[in-house]
Amino acid sequence: MPKLPVPDTSQKKVAALEFGAVSHTSLARLSVLEASNAYLYDTSRPGKRLPQKHGVLDKRLGVSDKIDKCETCGEGVQECVGHFGAIRLALPVFHIGYFKMVVQVLQNICKSCSHILLPARDLRTYLKRVRNPNLDAVQRAGVIKAINAACRKCGTCPWCGEANGTVKKVGALKVIHEKYKSARKAAQPAIEAFRATFATAAQAAPDLRSHIPKAQDDLNPKRALDLFRAIPDEHVECMGMDPIAGRPELFIWTAVPVPPVAIRPSVGQEASSNEDDVTVLLSDVVIVNTRVREIMRDGKDAKILMEHWDFLQLQCAMLVNSDLPGVTNMPPMLTRIKRGFVQRLKGKQGRFRGNLSGKRVDFSGRTVISPDPNLRIDQVAVPDRVAKILTYPEPVTAHNKEVLRAAVRNGPDVHPGAVYVKIAATGEKKFLKFGREFVAKALAEGDVVERHMRDGDVVLFNRQPSLHKLSIMSHFAKIRPWRTFRLNECVCTPYNADFDGDEMNLHLPQTEEARAEAMTLMGVKHNLVTPRNGEPLIAATQDFISSAYLLTRRDVFFDRAWISQWLCGMGDGFMHIELPPPTIIKPRALWTGRQLFSVLIRPNKASPVVINLETKTRNYDRGTKVPEMDCNDGYLIVRNSEIMCGVIDKSVVGGESKNGIFYTIMRDYGVDQAAACMNRLAKMCARFLGNRGFSIGIDDVQPGLVLSRRKDEVVAKGYSDTDELIRKSERGELENLPGCNETQTLENKISGVLSKIRDDVGGICLSELHRHNAPIIMSLCGSKGSKINVSQMVACVGQQIISGQRIPNGFVDRSLPHFPKNSRTPAARGFVRNSFYSGLTPSEFLFHAVSGREGLVDTAVKTAETGYMQRRLMKALEDLVSHYDNSVRNSVGGIIQFTYGDDLLDPANMEGDKQPVNLNRLLLHCQAVVDTKGKGAMMPWEIRKTFVDAFESDKFTQECGAHFLEEVRTFVDDKIVTKLAGIRKRFGANDGLMEGEVEAIADPVVRAAVDNSLKFTPEQCTLFLDTCLRKYSRAKMEPGTAVGAVGAQSIGEPGTQMTLKTFHFAGVASMNVTLGVPRIKEIINASKAINTPIISAELLNNKDEKVARIVKGRVEKTTLEDVAEFIEVVIKEHDTYLTIKLDTDAIEKLQLEVDTHGIANAITKAPKLKLSHVHVHATAVNRIDVELPNPSEMSSSKTSLTPAGILNRLHTLKRALPKVIIKGIPTVNRAVINEEKDKTFKLLVEGYGLRHVMNTEGVRGANVTSNHIMEVLSVLGIEAARKTIVKEVIDVMSSHGMTIDPRHVMLLADLMTFKGEVLGITRFGIAKMKDSVLMLASFEKTTDHLFEASFYGKKDRINGVSECIIMGVPMLIGTGLFKLKQK
Amino acid sequence: MSDDEGDFGGGGGGDEVYDEDEMDEDNPDMFEQNEEDEQDQQGDIDGGADMEPDAPDLGGPPAPGEVPKDKRTTTPYLTKYERARLLGTRALQISMNAPVMVDLEGETDPLDIAQKELQAKKIPLLVRRYLPDGSWEDWSVEELIIE
Repeated sequence: MPKLPVPDTSQKKVAALEFGAVSHTSLARLSVLEASNAYLYDTSRPGKRLPQKHGVLDKRLGVSDKIDKCETCGEGVQECVGHFGAIRLALPVFHIGYFKMVVQVLQNICKSCSHILLPARDLRTYLKRVRNPNLDAVQRAGVIKAINAACRKCGTCPWCGEANGTVKKVGALKVIHEKYKSARKAAQPAIEAFRATFATAAQAAPDLRSHIPKAQDDLNPKRALDLFRAIPDEHVECMGMDPIAGRPELFIWTAVPVPPVAIRPSVGQEASSNEDDVTVLLSDVVIVNTRVREIMRDGKDAKILMEHWDFLQLQCAMLVNSDLPGVTNMPPMLTRIKRGFVQRLKGKQGRFRGNLSGKRVDFSGRTVISPDPNLRIDQVAVPDRVAKILTYPEPVTAHNKEVLRAAVRNGPDVHPGAVYVKIAATGEKKFLKFGREFVAKALAEGDVVERHMRDGDVVLFNRQPSLHKLSIMSHFAKIRPWRTFRLNECVCTPYNADFDGDEMNLHLPQTEEARAEAMTLMGVKHNLVTPRNGEPLIAATQDFISSAYLLTRRDVFFDRAWISQWLCGMGDGFMHIELPPPTIIKPRALWTGRQLFSVLIRPNKASPVVINLETKTRNYDRGTKVPEMDCNDGYLIVRNSEIMCGVIDKSVVGGESKNGIFYTIMRDYGVDQAAACMNRLAKMCARFLGNRGFSIGIDDVQPGLVLSRRKDEVVAKGYSDTDELIRKSERGELENLPGCNETQTLENKISGVLSKIRDDVGGICLSELHRHNAPIIMSLCGSKGSKINVSQMVACVGQQIISGQRIPNGFVDRSLPHFPKNSRTPAARGFVRNSFYSGLTPSEFLFHAVSGREGLVDTAVKTAETGYMQRRLMKALEDLVSHYDNSVRNSVGGIIQFTYGDDLLDPANMEGDKQPVNLNRLLLHCQAVVDTKGKGAMMPWEIRKTFVDAFESDKFTQECGAHFLEEVRTFVDDKIVTKLAGIRKRFGANDGLMEGEVEAIADPVVRAAVDNSLKFTPEQCTLFLDTCLRKYSRAKMEPGTAVGAVGAQSIGEPGTQMTLKTFHFAGVASMNVTLGVPRIKEIINASKAINTPIISAELLNNKDEKVARIVKGRVEKTTLEDVAEFIEVVIKEHDTYLTIKLDTDAIEKLQLEVDTHGIANAITKAPKLKLSHVHVHATAVNRIDVELPNPSEMSSSKTSLTPAGILNRLHTLKRALPKVIIKGIPTVNRAVINEEKDKTFKLLVEGYGLRHVMNTEGVRGANVTSNHIMEVLSVLGIEAARKTIVKEVIDVMSSHGMTIDPRHVMLLADLMTFKGEVLGITRFGIAKMKDSVLMLASFEKTTDHLFEASFYGKKDRINGVSECIIMGVPMLIGTGLFKLKQK
Repeated sequence: MSDDEGDFGGGGGGDEVYDEDEMDEDNPDMFEQNEEDEQDQQGDIDGGADMEPDAPDLGGPPAPGEVPKDKRTTTPYLTKYERARLLGTRALQISMNAPVMVDLEGETDPLDIAQKELQAKKIPLLVRRYLPDGSWEDWSVEELIIE
């Protein structure tokens, strides 16, 4: 037997995708038949429906049912890929997708000689620019745009001298050339000649005559085709097209391809069949085409031919895009809109987003979730019935042969079994339902067993909406009975899951590589913290916190039996537990609940976990002088893993706090220890609470007598305060708040009083209710509910708010008919004084429902808005990756940042305040861990020197940023060196700050006193320094991280939590600033017009309010009406004019720097009034006369000279004058003086005009900022714009109490500005950032991008994330950034 | 293919067609097979060319090659991505009957074995780190700091 050639089986990789159009010849070569038969089926033989020969369902195009065989290749529906056919069109038609581009080409060429409308010299220069290979897509588009503009300007062809006009699209699919519509004299003879050609026609039909001047040159597809064919190659190239593969004539349809049947399958029923829309559309094209051909053959009326040609045109357009504006309604016979090709690709369910960017998968499951605290946090309980369906193909090796053999024996129905075996020797796949004993025996190495999912398998677990990377994590499967997926409650937060019926998805990765990546990158343990700000998300929640709180109160003691019970409950039976000595020995050995937690942190001496922690808990009394003696026991001290004092609550074991026990363990001893500790806590707390019981009943919400009385007092006080305010306001005694009018002031004050009532009542509840009251316990320890929730149930529901206001009027001048009109009392405006327990009155109930609905509406609107925002952010930032040279680049190598976040630190690893080390805790740790007994203490100067020397060594300077080192140095100086020096002084010793100073404490008592206060040894120094260095170098952003995606999620995900319509006071009342989602949207859209533009200006003299007032006068727009007492019409015998009396007092008060002449001057300069110095006279100090300007100058109409006309004009002028701006910046709406905390004044200017404000006298020009990014860009440049973006986003987030690491925002700002202009995260901005056609097509305007790509012959190199997903190529991010080589 | 393939011919292959004794360094077929397999796992092997998209040729200096050992600048730490990929690739090799480089103590899961090998720094693979200009640094697993 001859040696067979070895086939090259290595995978092919798609390197690039080129777009283009199929030419007529290649279509002819490609097609297996010409479709000419309009009928789909041959109905001549009853009972059998056979596709018509040469119909669009001809079997040579492939088949769509399981029985038939393709007549071209002889294969069935599974194997046959399908074959193309063609419809040769009787007349060419425009392709709707390329229509715009074709019109553009027609515009660019001479309609007589087909040459481009550019002189030869320009042609060469442009050609050179177009041919530049280094252009990116955006630049290229710019050049082409310039060429188009240049061509449009050209009226006469420089090659043949023929006149050329504009080419216009008329109706949906017609193009005309306005050659005969020129006003130029030179063109007139030609126009005359053209019109003369209609003479005969006009004679025959006289009513035609009136239409002749409208006649223009019709560019029908056939003419266009002929013109295109004659365009020289170079000219084609100059228009940005490929002269060989993409000539313009390709984009006019002469033949329509008939796609294979496989992509438009018919669904056959008994007697009839249901055809795909494309099939129907194609057969329509065939019908019309045949008709056109007949008409041409028979030589019928030209009018009929034209009508049918248009119809053919329309049918072809419908095939591509059935949703054409203006066209769809034209043919009345079309009852239903068919799905053309454009519709197949477009939209969320379209090919791109629905089938290419996201695909349906196998090996996945979905069911309801439920909690199980006995599972580890990185486990998920999978029902056995799911485990038996999801399989993993495991190759048989020497190591696992016996295990797999047992699985094969068990078969598909018994759990640790297998479903299929693929036998390597024969290549067959055996189903294990029957005859598995034989297969099991013959199982050999190399066979692949598709075994059931079993314990320890890596699975991906996900809950929608997947807003951040923590929404999909990998767990280890634990196969359990019943029907739900179960997970530890600690892991609810990242998924945002609860158990009220939520469902989650589960996927089983199918290869070793996928398992390994899932486990190391997506594992729950590796995602304990959110990359948004490094806070832990996976932590104890709800019941665990309640339970921990109940366990650690000061009065909780257990005897030996119970403490052993709870200690055993935290482990898994294998854990070695060392029982600590009892806290109370006599009369009975008793242990405290806190000792449980000490053991929980460190179960035995072999455990390495030694943590030190000091933190204020939720109920820390801020007035306490000695923290550890706090009356609420609110100061937690953990020394060497032992709890010294303090109660455990949410701030200690809960998420979103960096002072917690788990976080400390994680940072110092790794994720495994932290996860193990969390497992112990979950188990023990669940058991304890299950045993103790924790419930809420009616008695928990019954207020006591004292509480009721005090509540009534508070409410009554609030009511009377409100009444007082209303009275004051009516009497006009209420002083207006800055920038507010009377009503606003009153509203503000009342709101303040009323919202205080609820807070006060909440406080009373907290102090009055019993300490065993369940809601109080929950709200104290932070597990669920707040002070307000308790007080709403027990005492008072409080003020109901709609969009920041009290309940508005629903009836005439009142909210409900139950109240008097214009009542401003609390009850009439939605104050609910009852509690949920006491019951709401009907009107209160309504108000409560009103504000409740607002919340619902808000959530509904919010989800859609933020979802779209998130999608845009992701699409814009998805391909940014940090490289091995530490730069952040996009997929084509464009640099976004030279160093990620300027310091290369990973936000997820930030322990302290934007620094990778929490220095306070580290110091504590160093002091606690190191045994200093008998060791010599360092002198203050020695300590300082050790640190300074260390920071100057290469080790530190190369690894750490200067900023960080400086911070550590200051800290050490502050907290150790200076403090030690102070202590020494206090005990009468030398301070030891001078270098070289020797120890001068001789007295052992003083020595001991100083050492007891603060002792620092070289050993501690080393530990401190080493830890700093280690933590810093491990906190660096790893090359390969998809920093963009993480950043996008970090910004988008908190957006979903923000309440939508939020306005906020920026320091001053009445200065509303848009916040929340709308503001974030404005920023990332780079909107030109924003809701509340505010310029904040620092003043040169910021101490004096008077000066501030003067500057305010300079900035703020002042109109004439603000300073005029009156404006009157004066009519004298020979003279009529307007006289203005100025209110000098007002001018004085407003600190305006204007005089009468200045105002007169301003009037003359006012636009539209057309007044000059001649007409405006300052007659006295406070008087200005304005004459009417000479009527002849003003208008030509005679009426204005009549007395009535003059009077009319005078009144018009009188109405216009008050609005004349006499001082200030016109674009500024108003300015408010703001008093800062440090008693300085500052100007807040509402409106535009940053440059004018900066240049105003009295303003510190260098310290003026605006929140309007585009204005900052135009005034101060791109770097300032970048900084503004960062500042604004951080401001919005922090105003909602959300912390985001600034590095994420910086990345976003850098992406928006790296091209040199501010690009919004919108479809326009993103199109300018990215070159890839596939990426843009998968974002928005799918087909527009595709048509454009094929017209200009674009190439997609498949670099970015979207493209790689669509093409199924591994992407160059994360594990794809590098390669592995066999050594 | 790297020029020191002789050291360990069969490691990357893991093809069950060949027996242990056939895994000979002078067997050219063996070499071919390895290369192909590795391509399967890792895509294209001739580094520089397919990194083109990352570093589009802008008419600058000719395609840069490997950075010499003493001039390497990238982090000496093993990144989590490298770790994941090393473990995955190695686990795949082990699951296809590649010889294991450490003593086993009852582990059967290829991933566990791979993890053990990584801890012992015994994974016979190199990490080729590409810089954005198309040049690359080769780091063997022994050289990298694993935490």
